This record gives sequence, C-alpha cells and structure tokens, in this order.
Amino acid sequence: MNVELTELGRRFGRTQAVAGVSLQTGTGVFGLLGPNGAGKTSLLRMMATVLPPSSGRLELLGRDPREHACRREIRRRLGYLPQTLGYYPGFTVTEFVEYFALLKEMPPGKVPRAVVTAIERCGLGDKARSKLKSLSGGMLRRVGIAQAIVNDPELLLLDEPTAGLDPEQRVAFRALMREIGERSTVVLSTHLVEDVGAACTEVALMNQGRIVFHGTPVQLTARGEGTTAAGDAPLERGYSAVLAEART
Amino acid sequence: MKVTGPPDIDLDRVWSGVAARVWCPKASRAERLAGWLLRSPGLARALLVTPSLMVGWLIASCVVLAAGVAATAGTGTPYVALFAPAIAAAGVAYAYGPAIDPAWELSQSMAVSDRMVLLTRALAVFGVNAVLGLIASAASGVAVAVTFGWLVPMTAICALALAAATLARSANVGVAAGVAGWAITVLAGRALAGTFTAALTTHSFVLPYLAFAACCGALVLYATRIPQGAR
Repeated sequence: MNVELTELGRRFGRTQAVAGVSLQTGTGVFGLLGPNGAGKTSLLRMMATVLPPSSGRLELLGRDPREHACRREIRRRLGYLPQTLGYYPGFTVTEFVEYFALLKEMPPGKVPRAVVTAIERCGLGDKARSKLKSLSGGMLRRVGIAQAIVNDPELLLLDEPTAGLDPEQRVAFRALMREIGERSTVVLSTHLVEDVGAACTEVALMNQGRIVFHGTPVQLTARGEGTTAAGDAPLERGYSAVLAEART
Repeated sequence: MKVTGPPDIDLDRVWSGVAARVWCPKASRAERLAGWLLRSPGLARALLVTPSLMVGWLIASCVVLAAGVAATAGTGTPYVALFAPAIAAAGVAYAYGPAIDPAWELSQSMAVSDRMVLLTRALAVFGVNAVLGLIASAASGVAVAVTFGWLVPMTAICALALAAATLARSANVGVAAGVAGWAITVLAGRALAGTFTAALTTHSFVLPYLAFAACCGALVLYATRIPQGAR
C-alpha cells in the first residue's frame, strides 16, 4: 500500500477539518470527492507532508513522514499540485519545472530530459520557453502538473487539477492520469464528478471531515439508482444520494 | 505531420535529447561550483535565483540594510549589534515566507530542507548587498560603515553557517555556528575597544531591545518550524 491513513485528524482552532480518516490505497487513480469545506484539501496537504496531522497515523510509500530521513525520501518520490499554484512570473516554463526537479533532489544529469518529457506530456512543448506571466490559467495549471510529474512520482497528489482546463485538455489530462496510475498512486481531489468517472479506479467521498463513501465509481453510481437524488448523470446522482444520506 | 524515421532510430528520444539541450542550458560554472560546495544542485539553484524573486528580494534587502544601520550606529551597547542578525533573519524569512513567496506551499513539499534554503537565501541577500555596498563605498564614504561593519562580516558569517550546516547535514548546526561566529566578532571587537563591561550594563533600552530581538528569533523559528510530531 502506498498510502495508509489511520484515524487521521486535523484541527484548525475550533474547526475539525479532518476527523478520523482511515484509508488505504495502492497503485491506481484514487478520486477524492466532496463539497466545499469537506476537508479534501487538508487531507491532501497532510499527504503531501506540508501540513502535520493533529492526530492519527500517516504512512506514505511504506514510510513514516514524522521521521526526517523518511520524510525526505517520501518527498523525493512525491508529486504535488496545490489547489492554488503559486509561481514565479519571471520564470519560463522550463525554468520553473527544472527548479522544482532540482529541489526534489533528482539526479542533475537526469533533470533536462525529465523536464522535457514532463513538459511534452502536459502539451506545453510550444510554450517551453515562454514566461509564466504570459500564460493563461489553463496553461499554468498544466505547468503545475508538469512540475508534479517531473520526477516520475510514485505518489502523485493533485488538488483540483482540471480547474481552468478546457474540455479537450481535460480529456488529455484524464488519459495522462490513467497512464501514470498504471505504475503509481494518483490521488485526485476534485469537485468534478465526471473526472472521477473517467479516470479513477477508486473513489472516496468526504463530508464534514469524514469519509462517507469508499468504493469504485460503479458502486457510487449504484448508490443513486432508484433514488430521487439530484444530478444530470448517474454518477452525480450517486454522489448526491450519498451526501444526502450522510447529512440526515 | 507525423515524421517517421529509420526503424532503428527512436525519434522521440532524439527529440527529447535535442530539446533538453536547447530548453535546459547547462548550469553556469558558478552554479556548478555552488552545487559542489553545498552538495546539492537544488540549493545551488535556490541560491542563484534568490535575487530574481523580486518582491522578496527587495523586502529582505530593506530589512537587512535597516538592521545594518542599527547595528553599526554608535549606540554604545553591543546588544544592538548582537541581535541585529535576528532581525535580518526574520526579514529574510518573512520575505521568502508564505505571505510573500508565491510558491511557498509547493516548496514545503520538496526534499531539500526549507531551513537550508533559508540559509542559502540569507547568504544570497547579504552577499549581493555586500557587493553593492563595496561598489557604493568606492564611490562614497557614506556606505563604508554598513558595508564593512555589517554586510561583509555577515556575508562571511552566513557562509560559515551554510558550510557548517552542509558538513553537519543540519541547518540548526549551521545557525548555531553563525550565531557563535557573530557573537565572537561583536564581543571581541568591544573587548578590544575596552568598552565591553560598561556597554553591557549602562543602557536603559537594553531590555525592550532584547524582547524585540527575542520576538524576531521566535518569528524565524515559527517561519521555519518542523511540523509538529515530525522531529
């Protein structure tokens, strides 16, 4: 198992953002769904070792991130796209991806080719030498994905990766996730149910800091059958049905 | 148009090799030397790009120069000079911290230690300002005190701290070496001038200043803290 969470919790003052989440997942694409404020981003930040948990236990790639040496090793094998990608406007696409490849402690000799591969995989080849300040929101999102995959991560964490992408780019992105998910664990936090249906092998639905559903997209769809839950697509109805049940 | 080559040539691989050469030019000699000295190409890159992160750079430079003016002013007490590095460090930590650095969140998930990155950034801020101070000193005598009494010695102290941190593989050891180096520099200077004892005891603003410096120290520790339960 690449991700093992046991009763993981995170509190911000009086707010319990994540409340006792237990989860295990291995290779594949794992979708994390839920309404705003459900705790998806906090959970992802804990998995990215950016935010320490208040309680519970976290094991990533078979290592405990509380240990300095283990945390460093995890971070070498990790790819992370935050919800809001901060960037240096004066950097070019290549400089940005290369900078983070070096901070991930990739062997310097492998960096140039890895940078090219990541940029090409994200469809940014013709923008490789453009300054980040000249790019559109969707392109910046793809730059964020490129820096996340540059080290060929064993654990890839993506927070709202398709925000700002047009439909064609989203289709390409889902194909990329499926490809990466064949060898690595991809955890995808999203509002977009169709992303989960198209790309994920496993899905969890969060509400008020807790996981209220964990299964396959097919099982989530089945939860909406025969109900009056809102939604234009079967998976959306499953999502709404589970949420409605959790709220009652 | 899809170009097909001879069957024994992988055109994708050829292209990625060419693109790697064109898009990622070889690191400069200075960067390679820094990478070798710091045992980390990532830290070397962080060192060299620090001045190009303009907003953080300007804020850090302003704080460092203000601390330098205070440290070299004739206050008659060594406390100002002793604790000025805490103010400068707080300024650098703030300038490249979550409030200013747009990619801070991403940087937090990187394998290279954020404390080591902060040390390299402090060295870059002091080093470049020291060079500018030397140029200004050659043109005018106004900058001489700050340059030779603060920027140049602090550049040396930051380099010492970074060297100690690199050798010990611990940023904390580096900070301790830097603090010790600076304390020895300041106190030895006062002792040589024969003003050591009087300067330590005769000033009424010593306590408020110490409290302010302690707050700056706490700010640095907070900005670069290791996650709870992760020590």
